[in-house]
Amino acid sequence: MWKIKLGSRPDRFCDGISRRHALRLGATGLFGSLTLPRLLELQAKAAAPAGVKAKSCIFLFLEGGPPHQDMWDPKPEAPEEIRGPFRPINTNVPGTLVTDQLPLCAKMADKYTILRSHSHRDNGHSTGYHYVMTGRRANFADGDNPVPNNDYFPALGSIVSRELGPRSTVPAYINLPHPMGAGGPGFYGAEYAPFVIESDPTQPDFEVKDLQPIAGLSARRIATRRRLLAGIDALERDVEGSAKTMSTYYDKARGLITSPAAKQAFDIHAEPDSVRERYGHTQIGQCALLARRLVEGGCRFVGVDAPGWDVHFNCFPSLQTDLIPYADRAFSALITDLEDRGLLDETLVVMMGEMGRTPRVNAQAGRDHWSMAQTVIFAGGGTKPGQVIGATDAQAAAPTTEPIGVNDLLRTIHTLLGIDPDRHYYGPLGRPVPLVDGGHVIRELV
Amino acid sequence: MPARTNRASATIRLPLYARHPAQNEPMLRANPSRRLDHRSPSRFLRITCWRLTLGLLASLATHACWAELVVSPTSVVLDRPESSQQLLVSFAKPGQRWTVDASRAATYDVVQPAIAAVDSTGLLQPRRNGRTEIIIRHDGQEARVPLEVRNLDNPAPVSFHNEIVPLLTKARCNAGGCHGKAEGQNGFKLSIFGFDAAADFSAIVKEGRGRRVSIASPDRSLLLLKGAAEVPHGGGRKIEPDGYHFTRLKRWIAEGARFDSPDSDQSRIVAIEVEPRQQSLLAGGSQQLRVTAIDGAGGRRCVTAEAEYESNASSIAEVNRRGLVEASDIPGEAAILVRYLGHVGVSRITLPRPDVTFERPPEVNFIDRLVWDKLQLLGIRPSDVADDATFIRRVYLDTIGTLPTSQEVRAFLADHRADKRQRLIDQLLERDEYVDYWTMRWLDILRADQLKISPQGTVAMQRWLRRQFQENRPFDEVARDLLTVQGSTTAEGPASFYKILRKPDEASRAISQLLLGVRIECAQCHHHPSERWSQADYVGLASYFTGVKIKKLPNGNEAVVSLGGQDLPHPRSGDAVPARPLGAAPSDFSTLNDRRVALADWMTSESNPFFSKALANRLWGHYLGRGLVEPIDDMRDTNPASNEPLMNALADHLREVRYDVRAFTRTLLNSRVYQLSARSNTSNAGDVQNFSHASYKTLPAEVLLDAINQSTGVAENFNGWPTGYRAIQVWDNRMPSYFFRIFGRPVRASVCECERSGEPSIAQSLHLLNSPEIMAKVQDRQGTARQLANSDLATAAIIDELYLGMLSRLPNDDERTLMLQAFSDAPSDRRAAVEDIQWALLNSKEFIFNH
Repeated sequence: MWKIKLGSRPDRFCDGISRRHALRLGATGLFGSLTLPRLLELQAKAAAPAGVKAKSCIFLFLEGGPPHQDMWDPKPEAPEEIRGPFRPINTNVPGTLVTDQLPLCAKMADKYTILRSHSHRDNGHSTGYHYVMTGRRANFADGDNPVPNNDYFPALGSIVSRELGPRSTVPAYINLPHPMGAGGPGFYGAEYAPFVIESDPTQPDFEVKDLQPIAGLSARRIATRRRLLAGIDALERDVEGSAKTMSTYYDKARGLITSPAAKQAFDIHAEPDSVRERYGHTQIGQCALLARRLVEGGCRFVGVDAPGWDVHFNCFPSLQTDLIPYADRAFSALITDLEDRGLLDETLVVMMGEMGRTPRVNAQAGRDHWSMAQTVIFAGGGTKPGQVIGATDAQAAAPTTEPIGVNDLLRTIHTLLGIDPDRHYYGPLGRPVPLVDGGHVIRELV
Repeated sequence: MPARTNRASATIRLPLYARHPAQNEPMLRANPSRRLDHRSPSRFLRITCWRLTLGLLASLATHACWAELVVSPTSVVLDRPESSQQLLVSFAKPGQRWTVDASRAATYDVVQPAIAAVDSTGLLQPRRNGRTEIIIRHDGQEARVPLEVRNLDNPAPVSFHNEIVPLLTKARCNAGGCHGKAEGQNGFKLSIFGFDAAADFSAIVKEGRGRRVSIASPDRSLLLLKGAAEVPHGGGRKIEPDGYHFTRLKRWIAEGARFDSPDSDQSRIVAIEVEPRQQSLLAGGSQQLRVTAIDGAGGRRCVTAEAEYESNASSIAEVNRRGLVEASDIPGEAAILVRYLGHVGVSRITLPRPDVTFERPPEVNFIDRLVWDKLQLLGIRPSDVADDATFIRRVYLDTIGTLPTSQEVRAFLADHRADKRQRLIDQLLERDEYVDYWTMRWLDILRADQLKISPQGTVAMQRWLRRQFQENRPFDEVARDLLTVQGSTTAEGPASFYKILRKPDEASRAISQLLLGVRIECAQCHHHPSERWSQADYVGLASYFTGVKIKKLPNGNEAVVSLGGQDLPHPRSGDAVPARPLGAAPSDFSTLNDRRVALADWMTSESNPFFSKALANRLWGHYLGRGLVEPIDDMRDTNPASNEPLMNALADHLREVRYDVRAFTRTLLNSRVYQLSARSNTSNAGDVQNFSHASYKTLPAEVLLDAINQSTGVAENFNGWPTGYRAIQVWDNRMPSYFFRIFGRPVRASVCECERSGEPSIAQSLHLLNSPEIMAKVQDRQGTARQLANSDLATAAIIDELYLGMLSRLPNDDERTLMLQAFSDAPSDRRAAVEDIQWALLNSKEFIFNH
């Protein structure tokens, strides 16, 4: 947002007024009009800090908690009730081992980095999701919470879209294939909410609904309609609350309808079958492919919610047949595809869940929640590939190296994208909220 | 840390004596002399000086000519080495409506410092036995409080339950991230926030090969060494070696590390008292709180330094670990929640908006009175009353989920009777759509998901609900039927509710949230530290449903029967817990076949503290857009209502009208508060929880679709349903509909109204702007737009008609001019112009929202 710094302390009134002003101008202007604050904002954002490569981020969220020890952090020396049935295999990086469930990723371990020492203290799904996406502990109890559940603190994607702004008419922040549990804009407001396609890209009739121009409407009538609607907006008394939110969605919707670039980005059918096959005809596969198209089209942050990882009961058959192979295929295809297209350097890819899973296999042959240790995968966006960062103990229960917390991850992601993590905005009650609350950049990665 | 406040025998040494209105406890009023030099004169001189001034000033002081220093308590007894007592010092400034806290600004001196110490915050701690006085000075005034320290050589033994458990909580040893988590930490596991004292005792004293406490050499106890980080401790230093935590733990160990004897029930803490309970602060002001624990024998001890504090609105007021509340500069209200040993107290902190002259608007009924009271306190001016057009649209959409037609709006606007709003409310409550709409809303929260309870079950439930609303049956009877239903799940009735609640505790959880507004699921696994409900409460409630069975009938249908049942075991101890409702005595089932009848009796009894509140809050939340307690079905001590007096008055009113929902709704809709405009003024623009203006409410998916259909004149063809059914009449919650999905129709997976999402999205905007479906309705051959275009109405009349039918009002001159452009753009195509106007209105926020 347009912001003027006065001395060392950014003045909140200055910021507040300019934002409201921008909204008002935006609402009275015609479709896609560029208001002055907006123009200044875009200019300010055009220049990324030197050395920053990443322009976009694809965030693959394995919702439910992926078992780190069954994927990226094998413990072959541990007793069977800890190591599980999967065997370690060599990757193409000497000395780096993953389990045999990740054969495709194993062939290209030089393209990404395995961070094994992520650890935090929130063992709940919705609360853990909230923590990972916002860097703040949830103030609600874990359970079925409304989506999005982050009603105050903005999600990573909202922050990125606010800081970097759109690169094209493609929305800056998109969730696939449904809203992320903690992907909301919080107090940033609807302007920074994710665009959600509400449609499954694996389906043959997948299309983003209501994007096609309506047949039989003449250009003259389209112009009349625009004029009437703009007139209504201008005359409408000050609206409040969710009605104000709706106004900003209208602005975005109009931008989408009038943009061919957006329609093209969403058109997954334009991909050859061979490419679609390479990603796998799975939700995570097709979402990863669509994410690549959207990033190509100018999206800043694509959050893919890939559920099903909460494997408390009889976990190994489903891990072996559905979960890990699908993720293996999708992730390896995505990295290869991005690299082939020369996009890997400018696209940061992160794959993680809200937690890892318990070291010991439980009595129901499953693994339970374990936020004390999780493996996070980073690729592209200027990260140093081919590494293993951190390690866990003999049971994969806790990091033996310095634990990497949620805010360390967030601070690193922001830094890679050229965003100042210490920047802050004032919440609705006038309190400063920094983009990231503490944490350190992971030096080995950047 | 018990400091006993001796209330009965307060030795009053100062001449003036007053009662503090808020605290109901004897207070000392200071000598109001301002010229007194406190340092130089001898004690003799000082006393003489007092006596001199006393005669002159006694009468003046009672007239509050200047600030009066008030100190509480009036005397202090400290009888244990680790006890402490918080002094509260306040004074009332002339012309100020409230007292000002001076606990941090005052200076404190103990006359004989060898007996006790006092810090700058007014916290007293004992040093050796004896009697002395504390002198409190502030702003040229002074007060004295007598102090006795005794029993230091022979204190009462430390109680594990009352004194060690809260200490572990305050030091965060038993927090969820540390030893309190389910698997403990490094082999040492405490119950989370100390809900299970016996288990904690065992963990500390018996487990860990006995290394955790060393009675022979308390200093060598691992508990102390780790806590004070004298040996490496993953959690760092949690206990300061010179603080009361350390000394008390050490004394407890030295006394033999004993668990409380069974006869120590007398000393169990039964309540806590938080002072002050209500305080207004100026921007930047502060208030020290005091927390007093009261035991079963009536004994009181100050636990200010031991309790835990949390602000529910820290941007308005923050609170630190010592109970000091500091106000920001943002007007509003914060509730400071105080927790100690599972007890919860609240102090409400108000930051009034400065410089607002509050003129009380007229009152229609008690609702207005209580809302104005609150707004007056906060310095918020309410908005004006909404105009007739806004009112008719709002009351239609809220009450019957239906948009008024243009004829209805014309008739209402033309009516000039003074009581026309009241008449309209009465009419709406008798409409069929009222029955449709409320049946739909209750189908949602009764989880009438046709996939789970079968289409027949859903229809049976819908018919039953329709009859309840049609006949306006008292809600306590409705609830009783829901609770005690037996028989076929396909016969008219709520029996299918039990089809999805197969386990006793699933049923009790749902019933509790639905009818009592109490969410008890947390208590399934452990006693939540800040909440009232324990695991015993959880299973005690569940066992009312242990007799419920679903039986297969010969014809293939199913029936609910409830016979017998048994008490359920406590999840930890395994002992059977007698069936008992929340917070009540166990039930006697000797004359009952169906245990649920006893629960229904309790729930609908006159004295039930939850039932009427829950329904009153639910209805208030529906009509006003936000519950007094929010979320509406999450009532607990730590989630207080934004206006407690109003919450209680509404609950009382519902009982007074004998649970007649229409009568209650009538009271609500006739209040001025309900009829306020959504237009805010400078003082209430930021208010979201005090009902100073109406709010923009999202229309439920079904209501919005009906409104679109009604104003375009095109009925929806629901898949498999005869044409003409309205969305609010459709019971089939699984009927595929893109519209319902993106506008947030609930899937009926829980009894929570929160399932109905009111969040706007781009998909919604895209759909209304650009979907073929909406386009088809606007262009329909039989539709309103086509009919108007083909009529012989003048263009201005067509615009009026569209405005009345869609926005329930006439356009103003600017709007008329704007809309006429559509006709001048296409002089030869009247149809296109009408369609374009309709499309534009359909996409206005005024249409999409209820305001």
